[in-house]
Amino acid sequence: MDYIYGLAQTIGVHTILGLSAYIVLQTGQVTMAQAAFYAIGAYIAAMATTLWGLDIVVAIVAAAAVSGAVAALAGFPALRFKGLLLVVATMALSEAIREFFFNFDYQIAVGDLKVGPAGAEGFRQIRYFYERGWTTLQVAGFIWIFVAGIMLFLWWLDRSRLGAVLRAVGEDELAAQSVGINLTAVKVSAFALGGAIAGIGGALYGHYTTHIEHGAFNVITATFAIAYPILGGLSSVFGTLIAVIFIQGLLIQGLPMLIGGELRNLLFGLLILLAMNIRPRGLIDERVARMLTGLFRAKPGSPHA
Amino acid sequence: MVLIQAIIDGILVGTTYALIGIGFTLIFGVMHKLNLAFAAASIAGAFISLMAWQSLKWLPVPVVFLIAAIGAGALGYFIYLTCFRFIPLKSPLATLMATVGMLIFLDEVITHISDGKAQDYPGMLPTARWAFGGLDIRVDYVLVFVISMAAMLVLLAVLYRTRLGIATRAVAQQPVAAQLCGISLDRTNAATFVMSGMLGGLAGAMIGSSAELLSNLLPLQLTVKGLIVTVIGGLGSIPGAIVAGLLVGAFEKGIETWSVLARDLCVMLLIFVFLVAKPAGIFGKLNVRD
Amino acid sequence: MLELRGLSKHFGGVRAVDGLDLTVREGEIVGLIGPNGSGKSTTVNLICGVFPVTSGAIAFRQHDITTAPPHRCLALGIARTFQNIRLFNELSVWQNLWVAQNSAKHRKERGFLGRWVGGRGQARRSVERYLEFSALAAKRDEMAGNLSFGEQRRLELARALAAEPELLLLDEPAAGMNHEEVGQLADRIRALKADGKTVVLVEHVMELVMGVTERIAVLNFGRKIAEGTPAEIQANPAVREAYLGTGAKV
Repeated sequence: MDYIYGLAQTIGVHTILGLSAYIVLQTGQVTMAQAAFYAIGAYIAAMATTLWGLDIVVAIVAAAAVSGAVAALAGFPALRFKGLLLVVATMALSEAIREFFFNFDYQIAVGDLKVGPAGAEGFRQIRYFYERGWTTLQVAGFIWIFVAGIMLFLWWLDRSRLGAVLRAVGEDELAAQSVGINLTAVKVSAFALGGAIAGIGGALYGHYTTHIEHGAFNVITATFAIAYPILGGLSSVFGTLIAVIFIQGLLIQGLPMLIGGELRNLLFGLLILLAMNIRPRGLIDERVARMLTGLFRAKPGSPHA
Repeated sequence: MVLIQAIIDGILVGTTYALIGIGFTLIFGVMHKLNLAFAAASIAGAFISLMAWQSLKWLPVPVVFLIAAIGAGALGYFIYLTCFRFIPLKSPLATLMATVGMLIFLDEVITHISDGKAQDYPGMLPTARWAFGGLDIRVDYVLVFVISMAAMLVLLAVLYRTRLGIATRAVAQQPVAAQLCGISLDRTNAATFVMSGMLGGLAGAMIGSSAELLSNLLPLQLTVKGLIVTVIGGLGSIPGAIVAGLLVGAFEKGIETWSVLARDLCVMLLIFVFLVAKPAGIFGKLNVRD
Repeated sequence: MLELRGLSKHFGGVRAVDGLDLTVREGEIVGLIGPNGSGKSTTVNLICGVFPVTSGAIAFRQHDITTAPPHRCLALGIARTFQNIRLFNELSVWQNLWVAQNSAKHRKERGFLGRWVGGRGQARRSVERYLEFSALAAKRDEMAGNLSFGEQRRLELARALAAEPELLLLDEPAAGMNHEEVGQLADRIRALKADGKTVVLVEHVMELVMGVTERIAVLNFGRKIAEGTPAEIQANPAVREAYLGTGAKV
């Protein structure tokens, strides 16, 4: 059972990572920087609990705040780059931040141990959950409270005016400006929100793996972040969730049992190739999303909510 | 003096970066899309040649390099088929994602082939040196420079002196009109991928031979570095990629004399400076439309 | 209400707009016509802040909007339609109208929370009104990309209106319409005037221009070559020459 709970943890955290990219992708900004904000969240939260003895929720809030702030700062120069140039710019940002953590050394003595980030070796002994005797199930549950909260928030956002505005910006910036939408405000806000969400994900990630190091936040992680929402479809938060479950669940549970554990990323790559050829708009594209919301809507003819 | 030495070394080796940059920029220029898997395919080609060399020890070194180029060229065609040929034009995210999938796939395959360790690769006269006015120049670096430059010249010759080259440039500028003139879009694009693939494979072989080592970390490193070179040179500009490749090579080796750790961070800073000051790149034109 | 003074836009060596002076009074319907390439659409783009102005000035209700970006122009009360329809195809008809409600008036009425956090309820009455106006109420949940051409044109106009502007810039709204549709469009434009709106109509379809405008300015090569009532313009030889060239017998 512990294995299942561990899987639930991974799926939960990856869903948050994917959702952090989901909101930015809606505005048409293809971001390879989510891994960087994920990393910042992980380190900040880990330092908060391990070095400064703060409560986990406070640590997560701090992680979200710092990641969100950094993302907001990055969001402004990002406005200057369109399309593929932004991909490269955010990739460079991601690598720069990873390099920063590669060199980041800040250890203090807590009790009779020296703890803290130790450059290339990373940050070990993030033992908040262990010291308080949380079971795997409890940690998984804790993670999923955040997943559910974030999904609910984004789902509500999709149906709100802001959600429509985000998509309008993503679809046609000139038209959006011409109907009075302030592009800067919308795009930077989306970036900041995405950063904050990634920070939450990173914070949770650091605490359930207990050891974080720069290599976990590389280009591959950055591509996972955008792969989930693109594969799942940008029309619905559930698409991202399904994509994560499908990939992590199928690839970790199912196939390795048949083929042998270490081919996870390989299959992921192949899966992406296949998916993009068969369903280029994602598993849940606009048509399917509308069909699904139609199922939940009142009968045609009556005023909708 | 040490600095000058480093910069010269950097320029010599920077030609390999230029080749990778050219590969990215060539595809972007023709299809207006990024092939994020390009660097990985280049290194994969080099690994194919590595496997050939490991099993057939008697292969002369130039043939090994040739296998790398051919292998990467074939991979280029494969990438064209799986990531570009069948995905509708109005889903640019889909092609991007597909190349990402290919990148992840190739990276993993390479990690598996190499067992997670760097592998020995044939060098070219690795110990020969030229003493030259106080400078100690490595002959193999010079050979890398010469071979890479020759490859670039061959590419330019193809692009500007052959019918295939004209077709490629026509498709890049006006795909619909090119088709109306009887140019087969499919065959031209496929040829572009094969050409850039071969350049990349050669670059991979050169990188491997200059270090006498093929590292499994190269695909990701080269992807980032190659994209940086492409952007600094200007998306779509071949001369830009050449100049930027040499620039980044020189810059890298130069910084190394000061601090090896700071090297990668400084390269990132370099691209940020360019992105802020001249986002279109050295020779690029910033497109107002997406 | 709207004043263009010496407005110029150069694209490299090409003078798309060259020293244009134009005054539009409140409540007027003014036509802007000229052969292809005469600078009509460029003028609209300049007014709305899509292109930066090379020289000259634009004033709206005494505000200088020469350098104002498009969203600021909308907030001040200027809305425009596009020649080649730029709807949000992936959004529904309702959403297309909804996202356009960004004028200063809307801001005051609803406040920050009301505009972003409020659900559809708050905006319902206002958006419904525009759905009715453009006869698209039945299609409110349809994706804009799935509408017929005529419906899309109506939605484009309705979206500009949903922003509740005081000045409307219509860029070739009748392109591709048949005779009956042009008549309906003319009726709608007259209804706008009755509603107190000011309209600048850039158009090629003479039936519409002559039938609906009170005053027309004619552009050629970026310069104004004539201005007057529809009757005056029709009789003006310089205008004929611009459209037909010299030596034509009409």
